[in-house]
Amino acid sequence: MSCAPGQPCAEGMKRRRAMAVLGVMAILFVALSVASFIDSRGQVVPSDVKYANFDAVEGKRVFQSYNCMGCHTIVGNGGYFGPDLTKLYGKVGPAWLEAFLPSAGSWPTKGAVKLQLQNEAVAADAGVADIEAYLEKYPAANERIARRGGHATAMPNLPLTRSEVGRLIAFLKYTSEMNTEGWPPTPKVDGLTSPYAKPVPGAAQAAVSVTKEAVAASAKPVSTIAQGKMLAEENGCTACHATDRERLVGPGWGGIYGAEVQLADGSTVKRDDAYLTQSILDPDARVVAGFEPGVMPSFAEMLDVDQVAAIVAYIRSLEGK
Amino acid sequence: MIPIEYETQRLGLRFFLVMLVLFFFQTVFGLMLATQHVDPTLLAGILNFNVIRSQHTNLAVLWVLSGFIGTILFVGPLLSKRELAAPWLIKFLFYALIAVVIWNVITQVLAQQGIAGWWMGQPLLQEGLEYLEAGRIADVVILIGFGILCYVVLRTFPPRSQWNEIHWGLGLGVVALTAVWIFGMFFVERLDLSEYFRWYVVHYWVEGVWEVIHISLVGFLLVLMFKADVKSVGYAVFWGVSLVWLSGLLGNAHHYFWIGTPEFWQFWGALFSALEPVPLIFCFWHIYLDAHQDGKPLENTPAFSFLLGSVVLEQVGAGILGFTMTFALTNVWSHGTWVTVSHAHLALFGTFGMLGIAAAYYAIPLMRGVSNFDQRLGKLVFWLVFTGMLGLGFAFAIGGTVQVFVYRTLGLDWFGGDVAPAMHFAKVMVPVFGIVFAIGVLLLVYDLLTLGWRVPAEHDSAEIPAPSGWGRRLSSWETGLWLLAMWFFGGLITLGLLSFNLASVQQGNPTLPYVLGGIGYPGLLLTTLLFVWRFLRSLDARRYVRAEPLAAASSLAGAA
Repeated sequence: MSCAPGQPCAEGMKRRRAMAVLGVMAILFVALSVASFIDSRGQVVPSDVKYANFDAVEGKRVFQSYNCMGCHTIVGNGGYFGPDLTKLYGKVGPAWLEAFLPSAGSWPTKGAVKLQLQNEAVAADAGVADIEAYLEKYPAANERIARRGGHATAMPNLPLTRSEVGRLIAFLKYTSEMNTEGWPPTPKVDGLTSPYAKPVPGAAQAAVSVTKEAVAASAKPVSTIAQGKMLAEENGCTACHATDRERLVGPGWGGIYGAEVQLADGSTVKRDDAYLTQSILDPDARVVAGFEPGVMPSFAEMLDVDQVAAIVAYIRSLEGK
Repeated sequence: MIPIEYETQRLGLRFFLVMLVLFFFQTVFGLMLATQHVDPTLLAGILNFNVIRSQHTNLAVLWVLSGFIGTILFVGPLLSKRELAAPWLIKFLFYALIAVVIWNVITQVLAQQGIAGWWMGQPLLQEGLEYLEAGRIADVVILIGFGILCYVVLRTFPPRSQWNEIHWGLGLGVVALTAVWIFGMFFVERLDLSEYFRWYVVHYWVEGVWEVIHISLVGFLLVLMFKADVKSVGYAVFWGVSLVWLSGLLGNAHHYFWIGTPEFWQFWGALFSALEPVPLIFCFWHIYLDAHQDGKPLENTPAFSFLLGSVVLEQVGAGILGFTMTFALTNVWSHGTWVTVSHAHLALFGTFGMLGIAAAYYAIPLMRGVSNFDQRLGKLVFWLVFTGMLGLGFAFAIGGTVQVFVYRTLGLDWFGGDVAPAMHFAKVMVPVFGIVFAIGVLLLVYDLLTLGWRVPAEHDSAEIPAPSGWGRRLSSWETGLWLLAMWFFGGLITLGLLSFNLASVQQGNPTLPYVLGGIGYPGLLLTTLLFVWRFLRSLDARRYVRAEPLAAASSLAGAA
């Protein structure tokens, strides 16, 4: 491997020979690459995947625009801050994602997922319209609701529009259908019941105890305001609306009752019982300036008159701090 | 010390200074990431993790490139025995580099609002692809910059008939650097195809182009430092480059295991990327041979320390840690976890970052005309940065091993509730070693910026080690044993990752992978630390040979 001074080194010949070997390798590489992307392989392509009316290719653009890969991994590549997203759609289903993405700062509750199933397109894509059937079909959604529902996540709220949410779900539907050659490996043991599942005592139990409190609370007879508070949490309202003045996804509820507010069309309106009731049942009718229509779903099918009145009463009770 | 022969060599200085500034900010961003890992709510919504991470990775690429450019400009005239061609273009390149860095730092923040600047199907402002986060506008400016670098290097070099192996290595390196970048300049609809081309840039840069430039520059710096024979170094460069491309070209396939490409890549990727350490072993061996070429005391210890660190961490971070996760059966577990992060930090900073710093330590005193600079701070900086980075690699590797078990084996995917608490110990270790590293970086920047302006110490008051015991001459046998020990621990790590395939581990018993990783990673990193200490100590002891007769003479004079 060395060439002592004075000896003939035949550098040119060796260099040409190395280049020839490299050329053979390059041809092999190109041949393997071509074989990887031919149609007959049957790999799913994003232009064939639709979710509701949304396109998976557009979804990839949204995925890149928000640099999702900077925190999450996709097919295992990216940041290692959040979970891998490749197979997420297949595990939690579209209704859970619809409930999660607009207000990523908090985990969806059962009510929030149920609300999304009212949307026919979502239910059609999920294959089930009933929430219980949905949770049975997507056990990962069930586990997320049971253990984390209503709690804060480690993810910040992102200013995703209605159509961006749909496109993102279309993209995740595409990646979920991809053949990734058996990665990630399927666990052979149920992590939740394994003795190694709670490596730090308290981390997982905390979530369980909170749920128990909520169950205990719901059994007692309560005032209208307290009932409204409970309904607001169960239906996921508080994922987007803070109970003080802070703007999360939607406006904070603190101190808004009775105040004058400017609408997107320039007119002003007083936030009274009628306005708040309408905003819950038909949110796009009178949108406040600075907020986008289509982000909040309608609760008309979810809540009866008394329940809406209870939530309005709860909002009325909140002082702006 | 050699004087500066060609005026245009001095153009390298400004790139070294930019490198230092960017390196400092990259470290600050890294510390922010480490803190956010401990407390995810910190700055969430104000400066999100993904934005800080893209600054961290992009600045890493940009400062490594600045170091390369600085070094190439410094050695270019020496290799060509004439001034650089078109110095005005290099000055333009410098301002373009600064403009593109500032532009990119600003546009990355837009990811928080989901603004990519789509125009004609291309994201103009930021792209949201790991390592290629820069938008198309920055991409084009960078391509022009690479074009300028190619032009300057190729025009400066002598006619091709007079090229030696170092010319070939650098010439091919800069052209390939430019060519490969083009593959990152398109929006691709399919995720598998988009990832396929993304690795063209990332893998072929790191394991193809940068390594070729690295081998050539290390070779030439060894020629300068030890008066090693250009021809024998050139031969090493030839074999190094050939082996890098032989293994690295198809070795890219180890990125194609799980991205939606066919299963056959698992065979090709594992086979060829398992060969990737071969050229690195070769390079490792050569720095041993060349450092013992003339047996003279080191003139510039900080420069050689970083050069040695570069080659050794290339062996450990890229070679051994890369090897442990290059087989489909180990990669299926390590993929997408902190195990990869450990490899990436040691390999990228170790190999390429340390080369730039070594070259800066070599070139800046020459450019400032300082013949006798105070090397004590430089030595301290090396040890802070080197141990800091080894510690980071350790923290990531341990965290990664726990993550594989909790996330993959137990299937728990609640990062805030299950995965992060399990990794908590490692997550706290990262900022701890990060602070050691950051202090090193701060001192490094201070030392190199003010080098030559401070009054040098009269004498290096540090005790000269005796050429016996830990300071005795490092034999090739002993070097081989050190290397063998590193690979032994690398073998344990590989077995640890393999053991995740065992039925007992999959049933929820992590003892075997934890024990193997718990011995393998600290074993490997401590061996590395001790070896570098031993190597530098034996070189330091060379001064003893000269100091001894002087001391004898002075005592004789005293007696008289």
